[in-house]
Amino acid sequence: MSSFTKSAQQWATFARSWYLIDARMQPPGKIATMCAIRLQGKHKPIYHALSDIGDHVVVMNTRHIAFSGNKWEQKMYSSHTQYPGGFKQVTATQLHLKDPKAIVKLAVYGMLPRNLHRRTMMQRLHLFPEDDLPEDILQSLTEELPQPREVPRRLDEYTREERDTFPRLWIPPEDYKMI
Amino acid sequence: MTSRGTPSRFLQSVLQNGVGRYVCQLKRISLVFSKKGPSSLGVREFIEEGVVDYAKNNPGTVVYVSPQPCRVPKLVAEYLNGNVKEEALTSKTSQQIAELITKLTNQSGLDIIRIRKPFHTDSPSIQGQWHPFTNRPRSIEPIGPQKPPAS
Repeated sequence: MSSFTKSAQQWATFARSWYLIDARMQPPGKIATMCAIRLQGKHKPIYHALSDIGDHVVVMNTRHIAFSGNKWEQKMYSSHTQYPGGFKQVTATQLHLKDPKAIVKLAVYGMLPRNLHRRTMMQRLHLFPEDDLPEDILQSLTEELPQPREVPRRLDEYTREERDTFPRLWIPPEDYKMI
Repeated sequence: MTSRGTPSRFLQSVLQNGVGRYVCQLKRISLVFSKKGPSSLGVREFIEEGVVDYAKNNPGTVVYVSPQPCRVPKLVAEYLNGNVKEEALTSKTSQQIAELITKLTNQSGLDIIRIRKPFHTDSPSIQGQWHPFTNRPRSIEPIGPQKPPAS
């Protein structure tokens, strides 16, 4: 037997959670998949298409996302201003420099279902280019989701010992000339 | 009209009928027919052949047979919850009437309208209803960006 009333139970079941995702060095598509599932509420066992049970998702560090391959140069984002000759195309780099939140936002928007709830669900997505979040959002966060990709370390982030003990395939001879 | 505009109800049964014992929900049935009319031919046949057997097999149901001059013979079924159903029996054979009566006997008398969800339970959960914190490991540390320790 539960120790609280039925109305409190109902309130608890349908309460909205706030998830935090750190997008540092993560592919935007993977981030968007995680966001789209949670914004629709599809991660819940009580999911039903007619009940509005999407959660809030906070994505921080959107400025530091990582595209793989040559997507920064070759991925194009197109729009049309509705005026004649108003077709605009920018690369991912240009878009990211203009608005560091736009790439993640467009990726999530494209993964949500095309219905009337789409804009509502987008309003529950909170994007931040850096990791300084407002105090009220920090208060309401309930869970930080694990990052889909492991963040790689730069060479200067390894300590001297780790660099010395790194396994080597071949040790150059004394008189070997390194160019 | 879309299906949302039609009347609807949830899946239910009458007082958990049939869980322990079954109580036939049909309390009264009356066959109204004409003694002479050609459209009542099948009803008259059914009354000769099957109505006595039906009444014997269903002691919980009162069967009235009322001959009155009418064009449309009808079957009026009254249920324990007060619902009344009328079915026209115009030019139906005795076989069809027997099937119709069996159908009405087996029904619960609830309105036959759109059922909102094909599942229902009176005890939603024994292990406790789900909420966002079930099966989630406890954490004490505040959630947020990992700040370097303030020096």
